[in-house]
Amino acid sequence: MKDAPDILLVDDNPADVGLTREVLAASTHHSNIHNVPDGEEAIAFLRRRGKYTEAIRPDLVVLDLNMPRKGGQAVLAEVKTDPGLRTIPIVVFTTSHAEKDITHSYELGANCYISKPGNLGDFFSAVQSIEEFWFGFTSLPH
Amino acid sequence: MNDIEVDILLVEDSQNDIDLTLHTLRQEKLANHIFVVRDGEEALDFLFCSGRYADRNSERMPRLVLLDLKLPKVDGMEVLRQLRANPHTNLLPVVIMTSSKEERDVANSYHLGVNSYIQKPMDFEQFRQTVKTIGMYWLLINQPALNGVTKKPAEQAKP
Amino acid sequence: MSTTAAIDRATVQETKTRLSALLVEDNLADSELVLRELQRGGFEVSSEVVQTAADFRRKLQTTTPDVILADYNLGSWRGMEALEILRTEGRDIPLILVSGAVGDVTAVECIKQGATDYVLKDALARLPVSIRRALREKQTREERRQAELELARKVEELARSNRDLEQFAYVASHDLQEPLRMVAAYTQLLKERYADGLDENANKYIHYALEGALRMQTLVQDLLTFSRVGRNRQRTHLASDAVVQEALQNLQAALQESGAVVHYDNLPVVTGDRTQLVQLFQNLIGNAIKFHGEKAPVITVSAKKLAAEWAFSVSDNGIGIAAEHLEAVFVIFQRLHTRAEYPGNGVGLAICKKIVEQHGGRIWVESKAGEGASFKFTLPACPADGEGNHTDERRA
Repeated sequence: MKDAPDILLVDDNPADVGLTREVLAASTHHSNIHNVPDGEEAIAFLRRRGKYTEAIRPDLVVLDLNMPRKGGQAVLAEVKTDPGLRTIPIVVFTTSHAEKDITHSYELGANCYISKPGNLGDFFSAVQSIEEFWFGFTSLPH
Repeated sequence: MNDIEVDILLVEDSQNDIDLTLHTLRQEKLANHIFVVRDGEEALDFLFCSGRYADRNSERMPRLVLLDLKLPKVDGMEVLRQLRANPHTNLLPVVIMTSSKEERDVANSYHLGVNSYIQKPMDFEQFRQTVKTIGMYWLLINQPALNGVTKKPAEQAKP
Repeated sequence: MSTTAAIDRATVQETKTRLSALLVEDNLADSELVLRELQRGGFEVSSEVVQTAADFRRKLQTTTPDVILADYNLGSWRGMEALEILRTEGRDIPLILVSGAVGDVTAVECIKQGATDYVLKDALARLPVSIRRALREKQTREERRQAELELARKVEELARSNRDLEQFAYVASHDLQEPLRMVAAYTQLLKERYADGLDENANKYIHYALEGALRMQTLVQDLLTFSRVGRNRQRTHLASDAVVQEALQNLQAALQESGAVVHYDNLPVVTGDRTQLVQLFQNLIGNAIKFHGEKAPVITVSAKKLAAEWAFSVSDNGIGIAAEHLEAVFVIFQRLHTRAEYPGNGVGLAICKKIVEQHGGRIWVESKAGEGASFKFTLPACPADGEGNHTDERRA
């Protein structure tokens, strides 16, 4: 595994972003978190456009669904159909439990789908598990 | 037989690895029903309910497919390709667990839509930990698609 | 005229009933006889006469007479054909046949074919009575039709109102969870990270804020569960012991903690939605575990066959329920104990009730304070239910 992996965190809720940063700051993987607040910025980041010409290529994308302007599913649709980007694992991390959101996300190529837990402890565990699994056990494409 | 529930379909031809995987999953109480097939052809028959599994209830899909790459008859990559090409199986969580370190295999798998790719550790204890983590992540934390087939993780009642 | 005669005339005038009549008659003298009889019978008549089938049909298109008086024999056609025309046009207008002497057999035949009545020309005095009866019957029919329409409308309105409510409850609880999560999470962080830097009062405030937020989280989740009951319902044949097993699996932790023992045996096959029925048993058994007394909980799940349904019973040896509360327990958010005594929001049984009622059953509880409780509910039996699955004792 890379020394300090990069996570693109696509989420417009600063409260959740704050919590996520807290959890990951305490972990041994020393992940770098890059946060963008909506789908449009996410795509710009991944395509290195506009203000993101110097952006890194993330090792993992953690993606919320409900965001203004461009939502998570639009990001999935664009990224997973682009041969240059589709190998980047995308974890959908969202408040929605709706069956149709889950199914649709998988149809668009999400690697996994995790509902944000309501309980603080469980939220922290979920974020830790995501980081641990993808950076501690999985082989990621280069 | 035709209607049994399957939590995990383990596609693996090494008896050692099968034993260790089953042992770990059972010990950690992660899965009750693990079905083992030893080659890619049998895996496809099982999931497509064809061949010797023609009578299998197609509504009973596993919640996770653990797939080795080096398999007799039909290899893991081909199994993955076919699963992703078929609307009945394209949403199934598939985790490749293989001894291959080839960058080509990693890249190809993600291209084909594998959910994640995991290298089998050589170390016995690390292997156990890996299986345990896979089980927990994909059976307890992840939410699979319910396209009429895969079951949601059970709602755990709080005491 | 004398005053009394004037008053008589006035009285007679008042009681005259308006009537519009369509006469199907080819004989002018006969029609005049009929009209005079109607006037004598207390009707103020406005009338029209048609002779042919074509004229009859045309008249029907533009007017709706209160009654049709048709001669049986009209030369080229029969009064009975007028009936046929009425039927094909779908008009509900009383038709009375007036005719010269014809056998009783034919009279009965006419009425069987749909004629309201049959009056002989030399017994015309019967006509007014016959017409009044026909009009009364028509009115009753009308009233019934109106009532049915009204009922259908009310049912549709009620169904729509229910759907709206369910939708509201679902959306409200769903959208409430997000900001609630933020409040709960950050209040908890405050508590965990800053407790040392704050005085006793501040910590107390945070504690109550957090408690409130957490309680509201479970309340909203419970409300969401309650409002979801009824969505995506399936109907399959289910082995209820498998359903109970799944419920017990979900209650693992609680079972172990309390040392509870659950007996169930030879439970029948029923028709219903698996997810809902698991929830039903889970809630009832969960309650039985929760509300235990000093002894470790012993719970029995059994079933008894009634006509087309099974009566299930979940009995425990816990604290029981006082007589005056036996119905209230099923009301949503209704609780009988403080939160300090027993946790919970009071939604579990309301959910059970909703599930049972959606399956067409009923639920009730038998209990005495301090003597355990038996929660009973009915579920429809599987139509192809064989008798092989239970012992004779159960056939009570």
